[in-house]
Amino acid sequence: MSVSLSRRSLTVAALIVLIGAGCSRQTTRAAGKKMIVLGIDGMDPQFLEAHWSSLPNLNRLRTEGDFKRLGTTIPPQSPVAWATVTTGMDPGGHGLFDFVHRNPTTRMPMTSMSEVTEPARTLTIGPYVLPLSSGTVKQTRAGRAFWQILGDHHIPATMIRMPANFPAVECEQQSLSGMGTPDLRGTSRTYMYFTHDPEEKRTTISAGEMVKVDVQRGRAILKILGPPNTLRKDRATTSIDLTVDMDPTENVARLTLDGAHTVLRQGEWSDWFHASFPLIKGLKSAAGIFRVYLQQVHPYLRVYVSPINIDPAEPALPISTPSTFSRALADSVGPFYTEGIAEETGAYRAGLFSKDEFLSQSKKILSDSLRMFRHELAEFQDGLLFYYFSSVDQNAHMLWGKYDDDLLEIYKAVDAAIGEAMQKAGNDTKLVVLSDHGFARFDRAVHLNTFLMKQGFLALDDPTKVGDDELFAHVDWGRTVAYAVGLNAIYINQEGREDGGIVPAVDKQAILEKIAARLKEFKDPANGANVVDTVYFPETSFRGRNLKYSPDLFVGFSRGYRASWQTALGAVPRDTVEDNTQAWRGDHCMASHLVPGVLLSNRKIAAGEPQLYDIPTTILNEFGVQNASGMIGKSVF
Amino acid sequence: MDLFNSAIDGLLKLFFGAFSWAPPLLGLAVLSALAGVAMLWVFGKTSNQARMKQVKKKVYASLLELRVFADEPAVTWRAQKSLFAANLRYMGLALKPALWMIVPMGVLILHMESFYARAPLAVGREAIVTMSMAPGWDARAAAPSLTAPGGIEVAGPPVRVEAEREISWRIVPRADISGQLVFRVGGQEIAKRIEAGSRQRFVPGKSVRSMLAALWDPSEPRIASDAVEWIDITCPEASVDALGVRLNWLVWFFGISVIAALLLKKRMGVVI
Repeated sequence: MSVSLSRRSLTVAALIVLIGAGCSRQTTRAAGKKMIVLGIDGMDPQFLEAHWSSLPNLNRLRTEGDFKRLGTTIPPQSPVAWATVTTGMDPGGHGLFDFVHRNPTTRMPMTSMSEVTEPARTLTIGPYVLPLSSGTVKQTRAGRAFWQILGDHHIPATMIRMPANFPAVECEQQSLSGMGTPDLRGTSRTYMYFTHDPEEKRTTISAGEMVKVDVQRGRAILKILGPPNTLRKDRATTSIDLTVDMDPTENVARLTLDGAHTVLRQGEWSDWFHASFPLIKGLKSAAGIFRVYLQQVHPYLRVYVSPINIDPAEPALPISTPSTFSRALADSVGPFYTEGIAEETGAYRAGLFSKDEFLSQSKKILSDSLRMFRHELAEFQDGLLFYYFSSVDQNAHMLWGKYDDDLLEIYKAVDAAIGEAMQKAGNDTKLVVLSDHGFARFDRAVHLNTFLMKQGFLALDDPTKVGDDELFAHVDWGRTVAYAVGLNAIYINQEGREDGGIVPAVDKQAILEKIAARLKEFKDPANGANVVDTVYFPETSFRGRNLKYSPDLFVGFSRGYRASWQTALGAVPRDTVEDNTQAWRGDHCMASHLVPGVLLSNRKIAAGEPQLYDIPTTILNEFGVQNASGMIGKSVF
Repeated sequence: MDLFNSAIDGLLKLFFGAFSWAPPLLGLAVLSALAGVAMLWVFGKTSNQARMKQVKKKVYASLLELRVFADEPAVTWRAQKSLFAANLRYMGLALKPALWMIVPMGVLILHMESFYARAPLAVGREAIVTMSMAPGWDARAAAPSLTAPGGIEVAGPPVRVEAEREISWRIVPRADISGQLVFRVGGQEIAKRIEAGSRQRFVPGKSVRSMLAALWDPSEPRIASDAVEWIDITCPEASVDALGVRLNWLVWFFGISVIAALLLKKRMGVVI
């Protein structure tokens, strides 16, 4: 009797669970309401207007719905802009101002999007240090993400690759982190390039590591570096060996990792390699995935190894919510790039990749992304689906103004994806397509620190030591009033804030105004054009007052001008402005009104001048939810 | 050796064929149960059943002692020593039947691997074929030619790996096929069976030349050419699925054979 009762009870309980599970999506506040939002980083309004006839789905979207320019943030940088989309706050609210912030005390640049805290308590056993409390990785951005607010109201949302969302904010929504997600080594992205070419003299390269290898009997052992072993006292870098066997005469090689072989011809990309970097041998390892490009076999081996991506099937860091979501995605669509920005602009800039090689890698990323997009589109039933595409932005950086046909191919692929979203949306789902900023040529690189030096605001300990040495190597802080780091930022060397700062707080505003006036008068020595279009003061530009990491002045360059790479990392070269000769030929870190984004929808847009911070409000309002504290936008509909 | 291996494979193919209509687990379950019964019979015939009975009684007695006199350390200590000794004696008694069983079971498992351990190549997914060459091979000499059956694409030239005396080809199955790769090595033809598709079937492992190696890789006739040591195709690992649980076939095999032996030990009068 007791057995049969127990069985009956179990059956009833199981039925309740099943019915509950089946009904759970219908009982949300989202019942009947659906919205698809596609974030296309860097989609430019002028490029669209010049190519409507080649982009049939975007053209149909604007004719059947609407198309407007979308006001971007100050400065118009992706992490800043997408943080505004996430929170509905301006940068003064969410506190992100650049790809890099500077430590106010040391003036050293640091990543702006997340920070890592080591475990507070550890146990040392021999060479190992075992954590007794957990270390943390946390976002530096303030404000709540709009999908957290939707979650509070039981409205389901799936957020794929929202930038500046690493680690993925805790909530019950499905989310996968995007721009800002590090590689397994903990860097923003570090690729490795192996060669045994004796002519290759470089030891450092843009965003990567150059490694010279020995080749014996046609075999090279590539030591692929993984994360530092935080379980060891010496934090020794972990590594694995990838064996490359070159055919004696043909341009083909065999790659072997853990006994598994792959054969590649010269000019081919491998599929994903799965690697386990040992932390405690046989007990604990960190899982990563990477791709290999066999650039050349003869006469000298040249092999590119991508940054080690966090394996989505066994994530070593919190890249998704729930934590099982990335594994479920990998099970459905196969391994995929998890690093924040995967397009290999670094190797292209370093001259290691040709344009075609860059494009072949970039198209692989887009292909991975489209596979995941189609999967999510098919799964989407209710609530909100947000999907982010990086390809337009990263390709525009490398192709803008010179290779428009190649860039148009990328736009076309995204246009096709938008067509699929339009079909899925039909008449009952609102579809919004937006970009965070537009694009312009980057013809002339401005060395802001050199400008400040020539204007008497920055001094070197030896005036002859101008050059590309980074991190203010020769700056005399005792005689320096202002300095630049990042892509649009100038800081005052303020007494009591900067270590050894010399400008009293009372004098700060007057000096800033003097610098601003000089910037507005700043002419390009080559052609007399205005280098700077607008100068922004944070106190008057932002409504929020979360200004701990804010620059004291934002430089809004004219179209065609941008801060140099040297400026971003605190170098003081000889000239103030020079030609940008690098492969990175398009940019958007200029005056915000010169590089607006785009807003398209399958509905009419009522807002006259929609802004990025209006987007989360628009989404919340669609589901009947009001703005949270600190949000400053209005619905665009 | 080839005759012996092909005879066993032939019997297993007959058995596998008889269950081709059913999920792979059914045939595996029947074979495992039969193996369990056979092991039980061998155990009964080759072990000292009377001594085993005595030792097992000693084990039970020691366990009882441990439970009853849990609060008397001296007795508990003595019981643990006794239990340890009885276990050692039990293992000693089990050694002889284990030695009797190890060879036939090993042969059976090695042959069953072709049916349950390896899956056919997935259509559309690249695979690597590797040929190991005999000592004295010149890596700069022309590589053997490879002719693939229809449905298998040879994707690019081979890689001659001097450091390992190996040659690797990349192939891509384009259709569900059962066929043969044919290598031409120094005027001699060597065939290697290849399977691609989704249906589980007989998938041979490494083809080898030496007789010793053929003990471990018995699924194909030995290679006749002196120039080649072995040929291997990287096949995916197979797993046996039942009610959504995917496990390695050996887990099912040992699980079912042990259960069969435990269920039938009384009926067959065997103490284990």
